[in-house]
Amino acid sequence: MDEYPKGSLDPSIPLLLTLGVAGGSDHGIELDTALREQGVLIRSEAAPLDSEQALGLLRYIQDHDLSRLPPTSPEPIAALRYRFRVRTAERSLLLPPRHARLPDGADPPASPAALHSPFSPLSTVSKLYPDGLIDTKWLQKHQALVPALVLCFYTLVSDPTQATLCDNQIKSDLNNIKGLLSQSGYKTRLAVVLLSDQHAPSVEGVQERLENLRKGCGIDSKALFLVPPNESTQELGRMAENMLSTLYPLAVEYYRDLGRHARKKRGRGIAPQPTIPPTSGTSQTLSLAGWNVRYDFKSAIFAEFRSEYENALRSYDQAYDGLLSSELLEVIPSWSPRWNEARFLADVIAIRGISCLLFGGQHSTAARRWQLHRDKVAGFVDRHGRGTKNYGWKAWESRWAVVMANLIERTVIPGFEPQLHQRYLQPEKVAMGERLQPFEFLHHPGYWYRLAAQHLYGRRALARAMPDDDRSPPSSSPASHVASKAFTYDTYMCPEPHEEYPLNDAPGTDYGDLIVDNLTRARSAFLERQQVRFAAELSLECARELTIRRDWKSIVELLRPLWKNMSFRTEGWYTIAEELSWILRGAAAMVGEAALVVAIDWELLNRNFTKRTNWHYDISKSLDGISPKSRPHVYIEDGQTLSFISASFIFKDEEGKAGQSANGQLTLKSSAHQGSAPIRLNSVQVELNGSVNRIIFKHQDDADPQQKNGNTSLSAMSLSRITDKGKGKATDPDSLDEEQMVILQGDANLTLAPGQVIVLGVQVPLREPGETCAVSLTMNLHSESFDLDQYQSFQQGRGASIWYLSASRTKRVARENPLAVKVLPRPPQMEIVGLTWKDQYYTDEPIALEFEIINEEDVDAPARLDAILVGPLPPVFIVEVPGQDETSSDGGSKEESRLSGLSLGAIESSKSIITHVRVPPIPESTQYNLTLKLVYFLSTNPGTPITQTAVFQLNIVNPFEANYDLLPRVHPDPWPSLFDPEGVRDPSEDDTHILPKGLCQTYSLVTRYASFASEDLRVHDVDIRVQTSRSVRVHSTRTLPASPNRIVKPKTIEDAAFDITSQKHTLDDRSQSTLDVSLVIKWSRLTSSTPNTTTLPVPRFVLFGTEPRVLASASHIRLKESPKPLIILLIIIENASNHFLTFGLSMEPSDEFAFSGPKQTTLHLLPVSRRSATYRLLPLASGSKTGGWIKPGLVVRDKYFQKVLRVIPTEGMKLDKDGAFLVWVPPEEEEGSENGEGSSESE
Amino acid sequence: MAIAIPSIACLGIIGRNNNPLHISIFPSYDPAANSFAPLRTPLQFSLLLSSTLDIFELRARQNAVNATGLTGDYGLLHAIDERLASYGFETNTGVKFVVVVDMRGRRIDGSVAGNLKGGVVGLREGEMKTVFRAMQTAYVKLLQNPFFEPDEHSPPAGSGGKKITSKRFAEDMRRIGESWTPGVTAL
Repeated sequence: MDEYPKGSLDPSIPLLLTLGVAGGSDHGIELDTALREQGVLIRSEAAPLDSEQALGLLRYIQDHDLSRLPPTSPEPIAALRYRFRVRTAERSLLLPPRHARLPDGADPPASPAALHSPFSPLSTVSKLYPDGLIDTKWLQKHQALVPALVLCFYTLVSDPTQATLCDNQIKSDLNNIKGLLSQSGYKTRLAVVLLSDQHAPSVEGVQERLENLRKGCGIDSKALFLVPPNESTQELGRMAENMLSTLYPLAVEYYRDLGRHARKKRGRGIAPQPTIPPTSGTSQTLSLAGWNVRYDFKSAIFAEFRSEYENALRSYDQAYDGLLSSELLEVIPSWSPRWNEARFLADVIAIRGISCLLFGGQHSTAARRWQLHRDKVAGFVDRHGRGTKNYGWKAWESRWAVVMANLIERTVIPGFEPQLHQRYLQPEKVAMGERLQPFEFLHHPGYWYRLAAQHLYGRRALARAMPDDDRSPPSSSPASHVASKAFTYDTYMCPEPHEEYPLNDAPGTDYGDLIVDNLTRARSAFLERQQVRFAAELSLECARELTIRRDWKSIVELLRPLWKNMSFRTEGWYTIAEELSWILRGAAAMVGEAALVVAIDWELLNRNFTKRTNWHYDISKSLDGISPKSRPHVYIEDGQTLSFISASFIFKDEEGKAGQSANGQLTLKSSAHQGSAPIRLNSVQVELNGSVNRIIFKHQDDADPQQKNGNTSLSAMSLSRITDKGKGKATDPDSLDEEQMVILQGDANLTLAPGQVIVLGVQVPLREPGETCAVSLTMNLHSESFDLDQYQSFQQGRGASIWYLSASRTKRVARENPLAVKVLPRPPQMEIVGLTWKDQYYTDEPIALEFEIINEEDVDAPARLDAILVGPLPPVFIVEVPGQDETSSDGGSKEESRLSGLSLGAIESSKSIITHVRVPPIPESTQYNLTLKLVYFLSTNPGTPITQTAVFQLNIVNPFEANYDLLPRVHPDPWPSLFDPEGVRDPSEDDTHILPKGLCQTYSLVTRYASFASEDLRVHDVDIRVQTSRSVRVHSTRTLPASPNRIVKPKTIEDAAFDITSQKHTLDDRSQSTLDVSLVIKWSRLTSSTPNTTTLPVPRFVLFGTEPRVLASASHIRLKESPKPLIILLIIIENASNHFLTFGLSMEPSDEFAFSGPKQTTLHLLPVSRRSATYRLLPLASGSKTGGWIKPGLVVRDKYFQKVLRVIPTEGMKLDKDGAFLVWVPPEEEEGSENGEGSSESE
Repeated sequence: MAIAIPSIACLGIIGRNNNPLHISIFPSYDPAANSFAPLRTPLQFSLLLSSTLDIFELRARQNAVNATGLTGDYGLLHAIDERLASYGFETNTGVKFVVVVDMRGRRIDGSVAGNLKGGVVGLREGEMKTVFRAMQTAYVKLLQNPFFEPDEHSPPAGSGGKKITSKRFAEDMRRIGESWTPGVTAL
């Protein structure tokens, strides 16, 4: 757009001229010298103002000059209250003459000559004379020269003595200006700003003076402004804003008048005659159609001034149609300069029309209008001009695209800002339903600039195709040729052929520069909208252009960042990546960027790229012809290039153990171009995480692979550990610095021919538990002229996980992460063995445990022992280590008893130590877990603790269980008498020394205990321990003879019986008392002799009581006459109460026996007494050999309470299930039956 | 009078990793030489297809923000110049179909074009749907082949991938590209 003459495409904004403020130059100097002489000079006589206020006001107005503001979107412009282009003049303004003079020496016409504007084709001074249409000068006249408004600044003097004088001066000055203006013929409006000086005059006076001034000069009241003194900047701004808004309608009115005038002239329908009829040339004057175009164009411009874009567009359309009609452009001969002028006018109208469309939001129509104009002009040029097959047309096409780009850039379209990343706009509603061309969606300027560049290629091609004859300057070519050339080449707004593309390499049009300029602009537009790939494409195009210009440096600058991280490489657009690489390589070689050249050559070896036939593909020749300043060191980052060597390092197994080693394989595969030179890597370093830090494979020429199959070679490597020099301390092998790097090294042949696969198997020693994984790999190549390091990081899931079983056989490692091996902790080689371990331990037994700790490691191991006993209320236990004192655990907790960190000292290899754990007797049956934790270090690797744990379960059970029967017996002694004075205790006597005189009772305690142990136990003794209340004296004796050291088998029941005789201390005490007995068993395991004592509590018994009881006792007498024994049944009734009781006894006859004794009797019992009744029973049943039971029907009844008392059987008797007692009948003919012995009662 | 009508200049299938899976190039009519020749070089078409990825990315981002564009039909991606325009479609597995239309790729006799609107024929918004549907059908057919491993062509982790080598698929693409003209409703 810049190529069009200045002012031809400027937006039309009303022109405001300020007059009378110091600082501005005089207006109108841009006027042509010829016109300046005739120009109307308007001069203000008043001194220019230079007060702060006047300057501030002017500054504000200037700041709001719309033509200087950056482009804004049409909506805010439409909302503006005023639009002005502002010019300033200090004292004078020069307006172009309204009428041109008659040319000198012209014959004065007969009638008074009709003089016309110097810009009109009617005037001879105009270049348009006699048949031109309109030119930029006319536009400039309205845009820059003739103001719509002149704003005069004056001071309103407040000094009353000078006020009138000054007012009159202003008046006369204004009248002068006004007069001059009207003389000039322009209808420029006049506005006045009066700035009050310091002293504020009275309001009325001022009003009067203003009125006076207004009337005196005939100024519109709206165009007179008074600025009070001492206003702040903001206030001034507000006033100026107000002023400009008020003035704007005046300006609009001015342009409306002009527009009306133009339309009126068009309406006349006749072509005006020039001042002087043309005599030269064709003597043709402008036709009516031409005049109509001129008037329409004027109307459109004036409408634009008024911001009436739709009206403007209509007028432009009219003008455009008229111009391109058969009456105008069709008839203008193409050799005439008017042809190009008309084309220019058509361009201007089209551009201004498109601009109006863009302002009106009709984007697609604008795009279509753009195409339409291009097509129309192409048609004209083809038919009437020099055709579209020459560089001139391409130049115009390119320009036409740039124009559109500029227009879009100049107009800020809402929703199309670069930051919104829109590529194109949706069509406006009107065009929505139509079948639109894709390009009719308005695209952003980047596309248009690119289009311009494309046309420039065409322009260059066409220019290059010109024959040499056409390219010679006209001075050196025959005249006939010059003439023919003029008809061949379109030179509309572009140079003649001999300037466009001169002979002899003289500088002509710099196409490259133009193309690069357009491409760069396009590129920035695409980058702004984040179309990175498109921008990259443009960079590539740019670089190609720069290659032609041999601007190598710029290419490297442009492409190097792109090459470093282009998406084409990672995304697999190899053809693009390749193109870019080759261009950059060429440029880098020229600039001497050796490192870049090597890196690109390295990448281009990859088979993915197309092979160039004439290329050496030998990395060592890469720098041939380049002499870098220093030896280049190329470092290739991960993913920076598409490496032709794919390297992977995988582990065979998923898990390994510390102290062992894992199988790993490094695979290097070359996918270089077939026929390229083999690459000899100097070393490959694999960085690992975990046990090993680095494995270095060094090249060795004579290290031949162990297996070879086709292109694959496989060898198992032996690695040796090298010390890292960087860490310094590592020279001492004994130093156990954990930070020390573990670096392994091996030699292999690392020469990679194209397509070759090198597989190197290694044993990676695993040291620490955790994970050992391959992290990255660096390949080093040292050639004669450069060093190259390629870094590659291993990533999970990238690359194939192929394990080479042999050179010909592979398998896929189907693991999630074959890059890593999980290192399990080193298995401890120290063992804890329980030596004397038993399944069961018994309560009340001290437990001694013995453990052997065996060191099966290869070296000595200092160890520590933790022992933890877990269970309910664990006891404090003791651990004994040889050569040390016993250590007891802390029994603080309820759940565990712990002993930590007991040092065992260093245990020698394959030696053992014995530790003892002693647990005190535990009273209850329970279960404990004894955990022994052994933490030890190997003297070779003291940093790594190794832990061995053993858990033992202690089952503690009761060895015995027992049940008990307390059977009443008849105490043989008579009861003391309540009435016996001897029984009365002297209260003064001490309790302890007197003999007990209370009631006595005898019982027999029968216990049956069983062994619940799992083995035979030796029972040393069984006894009872009696605890009584203080009021009772108890004496117990063992009835059954104790057999000491009796072996008790598991689950067998043993009996023990005890006689218990109890006596109350006093007779007076006849209350109940209790008896607590526990059974004490002294036992030992068969293996040991120390007896353990187990105490089994016997349920509590109740003795005595005041209730009467009836005891029965039986004894047998053997009569000589009869084999049957005679049974003497003694019924003893005890009355411990203080009452006199009467009992009735009745014995029922029975078939089982005969009896003698009272069948029915009554016994009276005194308080605290006992009486007995005796029966003799003779069993009737024929004698049994085994004995038997008889059931005497004896009933004892309390006479008073009518209550039957239970008869309690004693020895030789028992109760049946009804509660009646049975009496044992010993077998016949046997003497000395044991059953008789128990009776202590006899007749 | 002969009239220029649109034709397909290039069909591109782009994988999930933005990697080219398949590119078919179709010749356009060149009135100057009165012959058919591709409008651009394969490299230029590659660049052209790759430049649409910018737009796919932008559109995907915008769609994510606005929660729109569920159909995957991205319509007109951009018009590179007056002749070439790219249309795009993205499947829900991230495979992108790009159709590059040459707006003046074919010439037909004016009498035939009578039923079309006179002058230069444009394209309606939905007119590419047929092509995308046909491409998708062909792609689905390809996926149904048990020997076709989609992960090989666009590895889930990582970048790049193999190109489609299926002859039948290429044949399908050729058929689609050659038989499409504006107004065709089924391919």
